[in-house]
Amino acid sequence: MMEVIKLTMPFLLEGLWMTFKISLITILCGSLLGFIVGMLRTVGGWLVSFTLGIYIHALRGTPFLIHLYLIYFVLPSTGISWLQLEAFPAAVIALSLYTSTYVAEIVRAAIEAVPKGQSEAARSTGMTALQNMRYVVLPQALKMMIPPMGGIYVIIIKGTSIVSVIGIAELVRAGEHATQRHPRELMVIYGMTALLYFAYCYPVLRLARWAETKFGSVRLPS
Amino acid sequence: MFDWILDFYNWRVVGQYVPEFTRGMTATMWISLISLVLSLAIGTLTAIMRMSANPFLWRIAAGYIQAIRSTPLLIQIYVIYFSLPALPLLGRRLDELEGGIIALGLNAGAYMSEIIRAGIESISKGQVEGAQSVGMTYLQRMRYVVLPQAFANVLPPLLGQTAVLIKDSSLVSFIGVFELFGAGLTVLSERLMPNEAFLTVAACYLAIYGVMMVVSDYAQRKLGGARS
Repeated sequence: MMEVIKLTMPFLLEGLWMTFKISLITILCGSLLGFIVGMLRTVGGWLVSFTLGIYIHALRGTPFLIHLYLIYFVLPSTGISWLQLEAFPAAVIALSLYTSTYVAEIVRAAIEAVPKGQSEAARSTGMTALQNMRYVVLPQALKMMIPPMGGIYVIIIKGTSIVSVIGIAELVRAGEHATQRHPRELMVIYGMTALLYFAYCYPVLRLARWAETKFGSVRLPS
Repeated sequence: MFDWILDFYNWRVVGQYVPEFTRGMTATMWISLISLVLSLAIGTLTAIMRMSANPFLWRIAAGYIQAIRSTPLLIQIYVIYFSLPALPLLGRRLDELEGGIIALGLNAGAYMSEIIRAGIESISKGQVEGAQSVGMTYLQRMRYVVLPQAFANVLPPLLGQTAVLIKDSSLVSFIGVFELFGAGLTVLSERLMPNEAFLTVAACYLAIYGVMMVVSDYAQRKLGGARS
């Protein structure tokens, strides 16, 4: 058993590195996109809000696996050249879109959680709507967004396991390769894979819980 | 234009596969339903264990919840599907469907457990004391007083988690279980038509999601009315 661990660990760590890269890029892109969607949904008119609502529900109502297949297999068949995506960008785009729906909800909930009196006071001192958002609402809302982002990050890390289907050599894929080489030690290898995920996710969850006691949190509409 | 649409999404081919998609959708709903019942049972049990004063019990429950929450479902499915058959007490191989359902149930159970715990904690102490004072045993208190109110209080997140469970059930296709996503894979492998396969599957999932939203709206209104 020790022998197998020693033999396969380098490959698994390589996979973990890939998982790390994808999850890091995704949390950046997904948060940015989600922030924009969430802001537009709160400040935009009903048409914007309605359209983005459809976007969020369409993504929330289908499994991530489907998004991945649609982006990787279906988009190229439109014949538009810039939609012919390689596996890595396809995975990052699919995960970012998926993440953005969660982030958008958090952003909206956090902005709505800032007491109305704050905005009213700001407006009554002569601030414009933009200044009110920039100097009064957002600084308070951003703090409340931090703790749930930990949960989002863990969702992303776990989501990266699925992109193995389009051939990205991340942790699950590395584990699968290792089991093909050592089929008898399948349990050990999958156990190690699970432990590596745990080692990555658990600290994030702990950090999120610590942040929650520090910054407070928003109750998310489920 | 018409040619382009037919080229992009040939509904005649989809028409030929209607039985497959119906079979897949039925399978997805059954798998989700059984896993849901399993996860609610596991969730309730572990929620009560998690709140118990016995350190042994709550440590087991907390460990289970942490382990599930910190690892991806895909790995859990692999570990359960490949490891449970190795247990001698079972005496036979677990098939894909059973393995998939157990994995889904265990996975959702951890999330359900957290929600149910929040529900139980939301019940005021007076309720329990009242039940105690009329001589109810612990089990009776749980069964007749605490749990019914707890579930009603956390119905919206429970339904949300159920929607997640339905979507997650697509992952059991990886170990060869036939369900909605598997129906899409069949079309892909037989006709090499990803558009027809996956756009249809996506539409089917959206339909299930739509029904879920209507049901959840109705349940919330019904309970909300009774409450206020």
